[in-house]
Amino acid sequence: MPTIDVSYKDLCNLIGKKLSAEELENAVLYAKGEIDSIDNDAIKIDIKDTNRPDLWSAEGICREIRGRVTKDVGLPDYSVGKSSVVVNVDKKVSKVRSLTVCAVVKKLKMNENILSQMIQLQEKVSGTFGRNRKEVAIGVYDLNKITPPIKYTTVKPDGIKFVPLEFKDKLTPREILNKHPKGKEFGHLLKDCEEYPIFIDSANNVLSLPPIINSDYTGKVTEKTTDLFIECSGFRLKFLLPALNTIVAALADRGGKLETVKIVYPDTVLNTPDFTPKKTFVDVDYVNKISGLNLNGKKICQLLERARYKTILKGKRIELLYPAYRQDIMHKRDVVEDVIISFGYNKIEPLMPKLPVIGSESELEIFSNKISEVLIGLGLQEIMSYTLTSKKNLFEKMNLKNKRIVEIENPVSMNRGVFRSWVLPSLLEFLSKNKHVDYPQNIFEIGDAVNIDEKRETGTVNERKLAVVLTDNTIGYEEISSHLDALMKNLGIDYKLRATEHGSFIPGRVAKILINNNSIGIIGEINPLVLERWNLEKPVAGFEMSIDMLKVYK
Amino acid sequence: MILMYRLTQEAEKYLEQGTPERKLIELLNNGSIPINEAKNKIDNFSIALGWAKRNGWVIIKNGLLKLVKKPESFEQENALRDIKNNKKVDERLIKILLGRKLIEEVKETVVVKARKQIKKKITKLTPELIKTGLWREIDLKPYNVEVVGKKIHIGKRQPYNQFLSSVRQKLVELGFKEMTGPLIETEFWNFDALYQPQNHSARDWTDTYQLKYPKRGSLPRKKIVERVKAAHENGWTTGSSGWGYKWDPDKAAKLMPRAHGTCLSARCLAHNVEIPGKYFSIARCFRPDIIDATHLLEFNQVEGIVIDPDLTFRDLLGILKMFAIEFADAEKIKFYGDYYPFTEPSVQLSAKHPKLGWIEFGGAGIFREELTKPLGVDVPVIAWGLGIDRLAMFKLGIKDIRYLFAQNLKWLREKEVI
Repeated sequence: MPTIDVSYKDLCNLIGKKLSAEELENAVLYAKGEIDSIDNDAIKIDIKDTNRPDLWSAEGICREIRGRVTKDVGLPDYSVGKSSVVVNVDKKVSKVRSLTVCAVVKKLKMNENILSQMIQLQEKVSGTFGRNRKEVAIGVYDLNKITPPIKYTTVKPDGIKFVPLEFKDKLTPREILNKHPKGKEFGHLLKDCEEYPIFIDSANNVLSLPPIINSDYTGKVTEKTTDLFIECSGFRLKFLLPALNTIVAALADRGGKLETVKIVYPDTVLNTPDFTPKKTFVDVDYVNKISGLNLNGKKICQLLERARYKTILKGKRIELLYPAYRQDIMHKRDVVEDVIISFGYNKIEPLMPKLPVIGSESELEIFSNKISEVLIGLGLQEIMSYTLTSKKNLFEKMNLKNKRIVEIENPVSMNRGVFRSWVLPSLLEFLSKNKHVDYPQNIFEIGDAVNIDEKRETGTVNERKLAVVLTDNTIGYEEISSHLDALMKNLGIDYKLRATEHGSFIPGRVAKILINNNSIGIIGEINPLVLERWNLEKPVAGFEMSIDMLKVYK
Repeated sequence: MILMYRLTQEAEKYLEQGTPERKLIELLNNGSIPINEAKNKIDNFSIALGWAKRNGWVIIKNGLLKLVKKPESFEQENALRDIKNNKKVDERLIKILLGRKLIEEVKETVVVKARKQIKKKITKLTPELIKTGLWREIDLKPYNVEVVGKKIHIGKRQPYNQFLSSVRQKLVELGFKEMTGPLIETEFWNFDALYQPQNHSARDWTDTYQLKYPKRGSLPRKKIVERVKAAHENGWTTGSSGWGYKWDPDKAAKLMPRAHGTCLSARCLAHNVEIPGKYFSIARCFRPDIIDATHLLEFNQVEGIVIDPDLTFRDLLGILKMFAIEFADAEKIKFYGDYYPFTEPSVQLSAKHPKLGWIEFGGAGIFREELTKPLGVDVPVIAWGLGIDRLAMFKLGIKDIRYLFAQNLKWLREKEVI
């Protein structure tokens, strides 16, 4: 969720109306915004919509607010003149960063607010919408320092030298990737490229090395700059066109004059920016069916005009034109949301649907609760652990051989890199963290473990497990089997114990828990080797069994 | 060796009220009476008659009971009194009384134990002191009754789990059915079926876990897969433009730890969902956040769906409002616009909690048609989620979210039941 820094004064100027803090708080709702903080003139606004880059600037927010609180409704007017600037695209870029779209903005009366909003918007659009410059990298240049036509081509890593932004010396692209902070941050986007993309003008001045860095000469924009050349580079027009329109619309809102750039590809020609409004339609009945607002066509048109649509009501259908910077509208549902936003969420009377349905808990939860109840009756403390753990905890510390379990490729910590295949290690981990606490310590956990099951859709199976441990100065098999017996008797389940072997338990003091000759778990005294590995100093006895299987026999 | 005898309950009663034979003699003092009448007036009549006859005190003649020799005293009663007062009693009488089960032997050990326990002031009242009656000879030391005894650690639920149970209970009361599902999901159910495009930033590996093993699961039945693919690529028959890219079934088959509970709603919609229907899940979810006071690698998400042909955005607001009142005791509520790739329109609810002030409490939206139609559902589906962790922390009185999974036994033991 993008957080946008704006100036209170600037915001009110753009809206054309002085709003109180409270009025502003309600007004930003129209831009799906929520005020995060106000510190004198500095306001932070969270914009909830991650799919609307056009809202991520003071200009974009005010465009939405103006439609609702002033008479500035309907399609915003973005007329685009024609510049003489041409960009020639070399076919070599198709291998590295295939597309660019460009624009010219003239006669800007640049100031601190315009500049800081432009930089912020550029960062948010290429960062969030442009997937950290992978899909969209944006360059903004001082047009008066450029000699068109411009060439978008490629160079060898050491094939050219220029001074990158914020640097004093000339560097090769390879050096920039190694030395410049932006090169280090975004260099991976050019990994494995034999040649790097580059914008260069007719006077052989480098504009930029996209998607890394502008040149210091052409790419430095200050409060004195009046005319801009803007380019967006990437791979898909679907991302590039809305990104470009978002940037230049904001500058047009500040009084800049937009002009097109002719981009000559080997096989086609593009003229951008293109502000031809987009077309769609919505039916009055559909709006009402989804919103529940029961509005007439005229009212819906009014609300959509405030959301900056142009509307033509034809009977029960509304034909719509909407601004070219909107790339989020893919279904009539999206239009309905704009109707609701204009209407005001907090002006809608909530309804409570009355449906003839009955609630129920999952059977596994009901059964798990029964087991908890018995164990609590036995005086045990329930605990809850993470399902993520380490192989060391599951196997090595438990004196078992590793087996195939569910493993995470990108764990945050090595201690939480696998899903637990059983629960008993979680309880020993718990005991190891509470050695200084009063004994006896009798605890249990009912929780999920995950194991491999290739036959299933998810390649794995969830298993609901119960694990119990008792520890004190003297504790042993007799106590733990009494606890198991009390549980089983109270659940009304017949079971048997059969001697077995298990690395985690003391030989001769471990048994399988059997129901109808099927093993559903294990019980015994924990092997002192295991106790040592957990750094435990008192004997521990415990059992673990499958609640899913127990439930089958219940 | 037998040292002492003790009166039985029956004997104690006789000492208080008189033996049955004494009662019979006292009755006959006023003259002979029919045997049947005597039987009705005397408890334990057969015992009384037996002893009166054996001692030659009475005879029976023509159905009448007649006193022939008035006893001077009742030696058995006297003997009982003597035994009680620890006086020596004739062996003959001891035998009779043992035979009548009016006295019993008190073994030496008990007596010795009891004798040993006799001191001027005694702390503990023991079974021996009670059985031998020796408690009469001692003083029980008074305690400082204002001091509380030793700490007892009771068995109880884990507080966060208990909180989750109360949420579950409440949702069931509100008419919701519980959904469950696997912790490891295919990307298909976690993302694709929810109309989240394959190049969406939420699907980056910085935002979700990927699995090293196992890597791939399988896709559901062909019909669903083809519709989902079409919805992503061109909107299918939903009237949407779709996301406009080439959908990759290989990516959809990849496995991942579920990142939200919404995959359970998708599965529910695709598998014989009831219409109308209300469903919920309390799902353990996984995201690669750094663990700190406000973030956990694993968390529980409470969410669900409501399905009915007549549902509108107003019902969605109504459902959120109900949750705010039922769960957060909300005094006031406020709605904000919100965005999820899978719902449109979407809304977020803030609730004014009496103690916590304004909290972001829930989010909801109507599932996009690009999501519901491919899963075979052609009516509005309201999807909702509740932010319960702030409430849980408030109920548990904790400031650090890590205490939801507290590994501190002392804290668990001392935490009052919520």
